[in-house]
Amino acid sequence: MVSQEQARPDVDQSIVQTMLYRLAVARGIEDLFEKWTKDGTFTGWWHPGRGQEGAAVGAMAALKADDQIMWYHRGANWPIARGMNVESVIADLLGRVNGSTHGKGGGAPHFVDLDLGLIGSGGTLGTAHVLGGGLALAKQVLGKPGIVVAGFGDGTAARGTFHETLMQAVPWKLPLLYFCENNGWAVATAFGATSPTATVAERAAAYGIPGVRVDGQDAVLVYRAVKQAREYIEAGNGPMIVEATTYRVGGHFYGDVGAYRPAGEFDDYRDPLDVLKRYVSEPAADAIEAAARAELASAAEKALAGAFPERDVIFKNLYAE
Amino acid sequence: MTATMDRAPASKKMRYQQCIGLAIEHEMLRDERVFAMGQDLTTLGGQFGLSRGLIDKFGHNRVRDTGVVETFMVGAACGAAIGGAVPVVDITFSDFMFIAGDEVFNKLAKWRFMHGGQPNELPVTVIAGTGILGGSGAEHNSSLEAHVLHNPGLKLVLPSSPADVLGLLRSSIRDPDPVIFMPNKGLFFTRGLVPTDPEFIIPLGQAALLRDGTAATIITYSGSVPKVIEASEQLAAEGIEVEVIDLRTLVPLDWETVSQSVSKTRRAMIVHEACRTGGVGAELAARIQEEMFGSLHAPVMRICGADTHIPQNARLEQYCVPSVQDISAGVRSLLRH
Repeated sequence: MVSQEQARPDVDQSIVQTMLYRLAVARGIEDLFEKWTKDGTFTGWWHPGRGQEGAAVGAMAALKADDQIMWYHRGANWPIARGMNVESVIADLLGRVNGSTHGKGGGAPHFVDLDLGLIGSGGTLGTAHVLGGGLALAKQVLGKPGIVVAGFGDGTAARGTFHETLMQAVPWKLPLLYFCENNGWAVATAFGATSPTATVAERAAAYGIPGVRVDGQDAVLVYRAVKQAREYIEAGNGPMIVEATTYRVGGHFYGDVGAYRPAGEFDDYRDPLDVLKRYVSEPAADAIEAAARAELASAAEKALAGAFPERDVIFKNLYAE
Repeated sequence: MTATMDRAPASKKMRYQQCIGLAIEHEMLRDERVFAMGQDLTTLGGQFGLSRGLIDKFGHNRVRDTGVVETFMVGAACGAAIGGAVPVVDITFSDFMFIAGDEVFNKLAKWRFMHGGQPNELPVTVIAGTGILGGSGAEHNSSLEAHVLHNPGLKLVLPSSPADVLGLLRSSIRDPDPVIFMPNKGLFFTRGLVPTDPEFIIPLGQAALLRDGTAATIITYSGSVPKVIEASEQLAAEGIEVEVIDLRTLVPLDWETVSQSVSKTRRAMIVHEACRTGGVGAELAARIQEEMFGSLHAPVMRICGADTHIPQNARLEQYCVPSVQDISAGVRSLLRH
């Protein structure tokens, strides 16, 4: 594993600062939705992403404008890490019309921003593999630039869609990156209790493609790994797997107290926010966090001011308009 | 809007099956975003030879062989359409929609709804053969149109003639919504006149009035159409003139043609090969009775497939679907009211 000190010199400071800003916003959303779940402002099922933000901001920072993303469902880390409008993300969670899905969201929403390549997400796990493969296929058929990132957790790595997509995407050399956030838990079942392999990355060998593991608590290391993977894929080599090891600090959903979790699980835990802050000067980090807090407060206020959708929304978007 | 069975001046005889490949070819020529994928497309033209010759004309980027990966095929078609392509995916048997069930019913049907209409268009055509192909058994011969009908967000097309295959498949590929296109395997080798006009197309949502009559209206589609025509000819010899409507598409449904005809004849019968319980006939009968109760001289009748599965033993298959005699006898019974 590459240490942080070794990683420090070759990553542009402006990239690190953008990652820190977005990580701070994503963390702020975690705080906000815990609070809003307790006080009843938020009535959906919050799937906390706390502890996993570093993987998301690292991966997203390594992408380019033409890239497309099937995001991973935990928290709001991925859309925030890609730079999506914060008000829109919060309003989606709250089921307001100023959300990106115009009020179709709420709870576990389907954030979408096609201009940013944030395609959306499926409510059934494993969607990212097949739809991500299809997005990559469209790029190949139409000769469009960029790669596609299919994000998923270690639990979803068990789905048949993981396998079927690689069975086709590898021989076709589709520009597809499988990015797995391995937080060790599929709801309340430990990864090791059901996985036939010690890691997700090593499954890549079965498909004849590279699979790498990276410390997901360190956004800079994730950035470097995804940047390299992106270059490999963009060069026409076909799919690759990057597995970021991380921690699910909260429950599967907010309210799951995690009685099933073993003592000592967090002995080596490092908060990705603290890890990333070490790459920037203290005054700069303070300024970035203050700016993130200010944007979040303003976005939350605007999101809360949004209306709830009217009844007619239930018949919208079934067919093309 | 009713389209009568016009015979265009220039036409030629073609097999039902051939028209599938021809429609894809026309649309691939017309729109560079269209591509086809499925098993054995480049080697056999699909398992039924539906798309033979496409590979020579369009090459491997636009005509793609897949493995046995139905989940990927339909899911990737959904993703590719979001990405701006226009996929035509051949899953061979409609029974395999269950293998790709999440992709058909959760992704294609719901993606735009869940994401507030982003993207607005999701132009995917899934070719999923329905009806009976002798001896291929319970997991290859189901008639599953009611399953699709019950899921808003999907369109549903069931052609009964070679010309309809060509005209409706072209419309399906151009359609901005996901279309489940169900050719009937029992009709693959039937022949019929097909217009040679390269612009020939049939819009979705237009039933075909195949026969004028006053005694009763028979509403049907897909593999039952030839049997209904045969029965109606037998009945005509007895002096009973029935009106025959081929719905052609179930979503969108040409309710106007149905209601106009039933208003005139005041008797309605629905004929299909799919199981009776919870079928398309049940839906149509309910709607006719809800909206036209005062016009009816008799209860709406259904002549449907048996509530069972199609056995592997080909000798048993025809016991499961309506026969010409079932249809004729049904009409006589309907007229006794």
